[in-house]
Amino acid sequence: MKIFLSLLFAVSLLLSSDATIEVVKKVDSLPSLAVEDSSATYDDTFKVKFFKTLVSDLNVLSIFNVDKNYRLINYDASSVAVENKDMNYVLRYRLLKDASGAFGVEMKVISKNSVVLTKEYKVNNTKIFMFVAHSMAYDINSFMGEAPVEWMKRRVIFSKMTSPQKSQIVISDYTLSYQHTIVAGGFNVFPKWANKEQSAFYYTSFDEQKPTLKYIDISTGKSKVIKSSDGMMICSDVNDDGSKLLLTMAPTGQPDVFLYDVKSKNAKKLTDYGGIDVNGQFMDNGNIAFVSDRLGYPNIFKLNSNSGAVEQAVHYGKNNSACSTYKNYIVYKARETSELFSNNTFNLHLISTETDFIRRLTAVGVNEFPKFSIDGDAIIFIKNYQGQSSIGIIRINHNKNFLFPLESGKVQSIDW
Amino acid sequence: MKNIVMSSVVAAVLLFSGCSDKDPKVEDNSGAAQAVAAAPVATSVPSSRSESVSSAAVESESEMIARLQKELATINFDFDKFNINAANQPKVPANAEVLKTKASKFSTKLEGNCDEWGSDEYNIALGLKRANEVKKALSAEGVNADKITMVSYGESNPVCTEKTKECWAQNRRVDFKLLP
Repeated sequence: MKIFLSLLFAVSLLLSSDATIEVVKKVDSLPSLAVEDSSATYDDTFKVKFFKTLVSDLNVLSIFNVDKNYRLINYDASSVAVENKDMNYVLRYRLLKDASGAFGVEMKVISKNSVVLTKEYKVNNTKIFMFVAHSMAYDINSFMGEAPVEWMKRRVIFSKMTSPQKSQIVISDYTLSYQHTIVAGGFNVFPKWANKEQSAFYYTSFDEQKPTLKYIDISTGKSKVIKSSDGMMICSDVNDDGSKLLLTMAPTGQPDVFLYDVKSKNAKKLTDYGGIDVNGQFMDNGNIAFVSDRLGYPNIFKLNSNSGAVEQAVHYGKNNSACSTYKNYIVYKARETSELFSNNTFNLHLISTETDFIRRLTAVGVNEFPKFSIDGDAIIFIKNYQGQSSIGIIRINHNKNFLFPLESGKVQSIDW
Repeated sequence: MKNIVMSSVVAAVLLFSGCSDKDPKVEDNSGAAQAVAAAPVATSVPSSRSESVSSAAVESESEMIARLQKELATINFDFDKFNINAANQPKVPANAEVLKTKASKFSTKLEGNCDEWGSDEYNIALGLKRANEVKKALSAEGVNADKITMVSYGESNPVCTEKTKECWAQNRRVDFKLLP
């Protein structure tokens, strides 16, 4: 009996740490949180805008039942607003403006009539106020002892099509409320951050005679050519320290995955199947996931880069054409329908290479370009549904999806 | 902690403000200059596109390219396929003839394209396989393969943007471009 119980316990521990298992949390069981504004500066429109951004961030944390009512109260008031007296937590803040135009926020978190957290933030430009809201949510998440949401403060880079053969590369926050076009004009796609610090990025330029991989250092604005290839040239993944890249190239017309050493500039061909091998992704233990049509349809395979052995990684679906990895997890895009005459559905699925579970992450529309966050906590993806292009965030361990629509253009690819 | 938070946000600001006036040089067209109005970027127009006609009797290289490109028929493909179907087979020898004779001094760029179902790498690869099939067929017709380059735009270069099967069929294609 003891053995049985401990076995059961071990199994439940295993399951609880597996992201392919769906977590269903009841909203009612989450602690309540209200937000109070004490700002004397800035106009009402901006104050409400900031409030909404902050409430949205707190919702994305998925650890509170967030009250959406906007309430004003004196910052130094000894008790919370009457309406908020039954809340588990109250976040009170005030926006500040100094003579130089810098934007600041003071915040405190009140619980059971006591101030349990205080923080101050300052940036030199009101236009990037959303990054302050993201930082506030990040700090509250840390204060609550939750797993870090590093991705919330990071920047997203994406390419969007503006017309045939015309695109822009844009840097934004994860909600798309801040957007800065960094490469305009021309036909430039597949941007990919070059390092963890997000100080540089790679992208494919179609404006040269051959597809060309370029590199831009954001702090200096300097651009350099990395490599060209006939047919295809895409940076599919960058390893943790930025020293190695997985490239898809097709020098002889056959798309294959190559390992590129940034320092030595050597490219080593990793796949040699005569069909399509693309979308290489670094995994743990020297493994590389990639998409191949070697079984006659696109599917996800795993290559051991030491032994060269290739094995099928996904055993569900007959049209799995894109993937992203985090350690031993693979999120992949699966074509659910094959309609020639109507709209098709593509959903994202999550698997672990160590279990047999498959978890479907999306339900409707064309969901593609899944990409794990740097800490594996979330997946960002592109959703095209009913003529609208959006960026989606999936909180894997909270079983929640959030969508942030793009006002114009169609997102071509994304990285964060 | 406060300092760390502030300095990290400030670093972000510096990065953003730093990049706003240092957008990378965009080599393409005049539209780019408007798009990066905030950045004083010198935009040069490729000479092949900017040449003006100096004499009505002399055809410039770019005019010649434009004229010959019209003689090179686009090759269309079936849904999810990259082999050249029977309806499109006759276009190959006809195009090969143009490339071997009137356009023999130019290089050829084959541009593979797909319908709108996905902008990921696999779709780009599918477009490339189409271009590669055309390259092999042209080579079999005696066109010098060394003068053929290929590119695939996936779904990013549609000729038709309506959501109809006719439109998607038009987008599954390989275009011929001549290069000086």
